[in-house]
Amino acid sequence: MRTMALHQLVAEVAPSRAKRSVSPSANSTVPDALYWSMQMVAVATQRDRPSFMRIYDHFAPRLRCYLGSLGTHDAMADELVQEALLTLWRKAGMFDPSRASLATWLFRVARNLYIDHVRQQPQWLPIQKGLERLEEAELGRPDSQPESFFDQDILKQAIDGLPPVQAKLIRMCYLESRSHGEISDELQMPLGSVKSSLRRAFAKLQGSMRASR
Amino acid sequence: MKPRHHLDDATLLSYSAGALPAALAVVASTHLERCAACRAGLLDADRIGGVLMQQQYVDAPTENARAAMLASLDAEPAIEPSAPPVDIVEEHDPDRLPSALHPWFGSSMRALRWRRVAPGVQRIRATGIGGGDLMLLRVAPGSKLPLHSHGGSELTMILDGAYDDLLGHFGPGDVADLDAETVHQPVTSPGVPCICVAATDAPLVFSRWMARTLQPLFGF
Repeated sequence: MRTMALHQLVAEVAPSRAKRSVSPSANSTVPDALYWSMQMVAVATQRDRPSFMRIYDHFAPRLRCYLGSLGTHDAMADELVQEALLTLWRKAGMFDPSRASLATWLFRVARNLYIDHVRQQPQWLPIQKGLERLEEAELGRPDSQPESFFDQDILKQAIDGLPPVQAKLIRMCYLESRSHGEISDELQMPLGSVKSSLRRAFAKLQGSMRASR
Repeated sequence: MKPRHHLDDATLLSYSAGALPAALAVVASTHLERCAACRAGLLDADRIGGVLMQQQYVDAPTENARAAMLASLDAEPAIEPSAPPVDIVEEHDPDRLPSALHPWFGSSMRALRWRRVAPGVQRIRATGIGGGDLMLLRVAPGSKLPLHSHGGSELTMILDGAYDDLLGHFGPGDVADLDAETVHQPVTSPGVPCICVAATDAPLVFSRWMARTLQPLFGF
């Protein structure tokens, strides 16, 4: 059922909107969210390997780099990247672009594999699946807006525009998986200040996402 | 009933980043099971993670890695067995503990084996959690805890009963996500015991907290 919804949703958007847009900062070609959604439709409905490999070529090295930055050792990081992409191959029909972009979806898959395999928190994967099922019921209605098609660039700009301290704290969280306490120790910054800086950063980024919807 | 006291945004960010100490993550999951507003916030935080992940610059995959990936697709069975999601029950069954607590305390409230730690206060500590300290607390109705603050990060969610402090009324599903600086004095509501799950980010901090909290009142 979900595959059909995804198919219809993508079909409703003019194909010309799915493009490889030029990112001004990196001066490289970055495909947009709609482009990835269409690759996912091809994987889900036709088991299309060229589409899958386009997704792999773009995301596998990024996921590898992300997992490496968390301190995952090389062999484990390679294994988790492969596992994340295999999950995509198996569950492509569950992907719903009205809930999250492919980048967000893959981030979740990789983060969950990291917490399960590296941090070894018991029951993490089934609990996250349970939470996603609730979210699906809340957000996955057929009339919901395909918001991920247009919020990504604005969010990117908002992250780039964060004041230096907030940007550093956000990166220490996401890319080094440091706890608030560890950040506080390392930067010699009171715990309360670490939390309030992160709160302010999140409010700004959330504001940018809301404004783009 | 919808919770009225939520996870701090800084806590949601850390949860999304996989950076929350394990004990705090268990309490955060417990709240997320009950709170649609925090689930929506988490999706926003995961979007930030998605953008940061995509910004990681690296080289293209090697031909060997690509070949290995394609080979693993060939090895895929037609239908993949996978662990079923935990069944999160939204309607309140008074005996059923939230799913996120099952690995640590089992699924039944009635089956819990409480240990008395002070007059009117019982506790069960989770063992082997690794990151931080996780416990269930059961405080007799109408008890007044001493004024205290918290050294590090502490996250508490009410499972049953209620308490009041200067931050307001905390009932089932509500979470107290307190700054280190917050000084408060919870008073449990009359009627039923107040049962909550609490986590701190380091055992040492908790021991000090427990001593500071209970010593003046109970003298141990």
